[in-house]
Amino acid sequence: MERSGEHDSQPRRYTFARAVLPERITSLPWFRLAAIWEAFRVATASLRANKLRTALTLMGIVVGVTAVIAVVTIIKGLDQTVAQTFSSQGSTVFTISKNPQIIKSREEFIKSNRRKDVTHEDAEVIARLCTACWRVGIAANAIETVKYADQKAENVRIRGIEPITMFDIDGVTINVGRIWTDSEGASGRDICVIGTDMLKNLFNDAPADRAVGQEIRINGRPYLVLGVLEPLGSIFGFSRDNVVYIPYSTYQKAYGGRRSLIVFIQVPSAEQIETAEDQVRTVMRNRRGHATDDDEGFALETQDVFLNLYGSATSNIYIVTIGVAAISLVVGGIVVMNIMLVSVTERTKEIGIRKAIGARRKDILTQFLIEAVTVTAIGGAIGVGTGFGLAYVISALIGFPLLVSVASAVLGVGVSSVVGIVSGLWPAWRAAKLDPIEALRAE
Amino acid sequence: MSDATLTLTPLETAIQPRAEVDGHDPSMLISMRNIWKTYQMGTESVHALHGVSFDIPRGEYIAIIGPSGSGKSTLMNLIGCLDTPSQGEYWLNGKNVSEMDDDELARIRNQEVGFVFQTFNLLARATALHNVELPLIYGGVGSSQRHEMAKKALHAVDLTERMMHKPNELSGGQRQRVAIARALVNHPSILLADEPTGALDSHTSMEIMDLFERLHSEGNTIIVVTHEHDIAARAHRVISIRDGLIEKDERIR
Repeated sequence: MERSGEHDSQPRRYTFARAVLPERITSLPWFRLAAIWEAFRVATASLRANKLRTALTLMGIVVGVTAVIAVVTIIKGLDQTVAQTFSSQGSTVFTISKNPQIIKSREEFIKSNRRKDVTHEDAEVIARLCTACWRVGIAANAIETVKYADQKAENVRIRGIEPITMFDIDGVTINVGRIWTDSEGASGRDICVIGTDMLKNLFNDAPADRAVGQEIRINGRPYLVLGVLEPLGSIFGFSRDNVVYIPYSTYQKAYGGRRSLIVFIQVPSAEQIETAEDQVRTVMRNRRGHATDDDEGFALETQDVFLNLYGSATSNIYIVTIGVAAISLVVGGIVVMNIMLVSVTERTKEIGIRKAIGARRKDILTQFLIEAVTVTAIGGAIGVGTGFGLAYVISALIGFPLLVSVASAVLGVGVSSVVGIVSGLWPAWRAAKLDPIEALRAE
Repeated sequence: MSDATLTLTPLETAIQPRAEVDGHDPSMLISMRNIWKTYQMGTESVHALHGVSFDIPRGEYIAIIGPSGSGKSTLMNLIGCLDTPSQGEYWLNGKNVSEMDDDELARIRNQEVGFVFQTFNLLARATALHNVELPLIYGGVGSSQRHEMAKKALHAVDLTERMMHKPNELSGGQRQRVAIARALVNHPSILLADEPTGALDSHTSMEIMDLFERLHSEGNTIIVVTHEHDIAARAHRVISIRDGLIEKDERIR
């Protein structure tokens, strides 16, 4: 057995010249880029080779991701709409009242009913002492039926306000006609500014200038219409334009001055709201004096209470909705698992060959996992596109804004990739633990 | 070990290298010591190998011959580290393979063994070059070095011009040469061929056997497992297996 060292003189000579291998790898890292890349190549090649099967698998994932993305996007649009609607007064406004605007429990109701009324005088003191406050106004509400000629509008909110900057605090603006002047407001005349629903319900949808100068009747009392407000739209079917504004002095004459009212305080910017709240709270505590341990004697609320209520009321509904949509993603995952099992069975021989030439279990495992993740990630990307498309159509039909966010796109592809890993794991494990001898025997 | 030695048949005892019955000979590339392989068929144990021992030095050209059911395939699977013995020791290139786990065996197959199969077992969708690169991929060799090594191996089997072809664009002989290049590319300790000419016509068979002869003359250790006597006759040493035992172990040239 002569082994010549002179291989180089003969070009075709090929021997086990171990010395020529510069780095004989003795320990291999778990993660080998070459093997990962090989797995990716194999995966894409096998996906291309079985086009119909790949298309069906993709479909399963696409439908799931589309459903989730569409639902999430629509919900976000909805949320945004609600947030904008509620915050037309802005996060620069807070209120002082006897009863909180949202009463969460019977105990709270009983407690707040025992409080003293919030009065005009309270508002005046606040306006005088609160240096951080920008605008201070008062409002009182009543629900009435409003009549004009033979027409009537029911459940109209009658809002008595003072001073006229309350229009600004409420975030409403005049469209046609005018608002009353300060002196008119103080005089207690029977004048009003109406919301657009009044046009619809009392004036047969006549143009706004037709209503100006007319007299409407509330509780038998005639009011002269000075102007019509810009519409605010509705939220969950509740119109925000079903309102009649009257001066507070007029309100007092019509409904008596003994009702508790709400003090509205606005600050120039959201950063100042805490300072203003502290000042107002101090003022009110001093005025209430007797405030007990468990009650301050008044309610201080920001407009966030509505958003919080909305959030807590809808969050469970959202979770359920997204959960239902996610079920289709689970179904997609099962489709992937099914197809991967077929793929493993079909390629048993190939797995045997790979194992014979040195692929370890983890190499085979990674290969099939990458194949599964490749399909689901592509399906996820397509699903994100179609999901946004679907959300666009739906939001255009309902009239919500479309909120396309990168986060939900990333989430869509990410979640579908996770689905790929989860559903690919079992088939890949089956492939990885195949006995090489038996696998080589397969046809 | 001593119990097993006592049960040796006279024939086995005759071919045992007596001095090292209990240990392996470090000068040998392959050292098999009292190898048993038992399969469980339901409640019955079937012995495919009954205590086989032999040594193969580096650079030998050896044929393992036997009829089907003789235990020849079992022995080949053991030599190729596709399987581990039920009992006994197998030393390959100084490593005790008999007690290795799955991943260690995979590494040994990758680094020490080059397989040549009867049905070639190439990946149908990959080019010849990629097929040859495959062991290097699992061996963790970087891509440029991998390309170079694969090309060299294909050159050694005269297939440089066809390296971008896929298996179905190659003849049977060419496919087997790709398989041989793949077996050689990692510079393994042994080239293990299982009926390498079984799927080839006689002319191509001779070409492949000539190639083996050349590779042997270049210093490679070659083990051919076959049931054909004229293929075995090309080797320098023939081990005959029958009923799970070594029947004959003779040097023929």
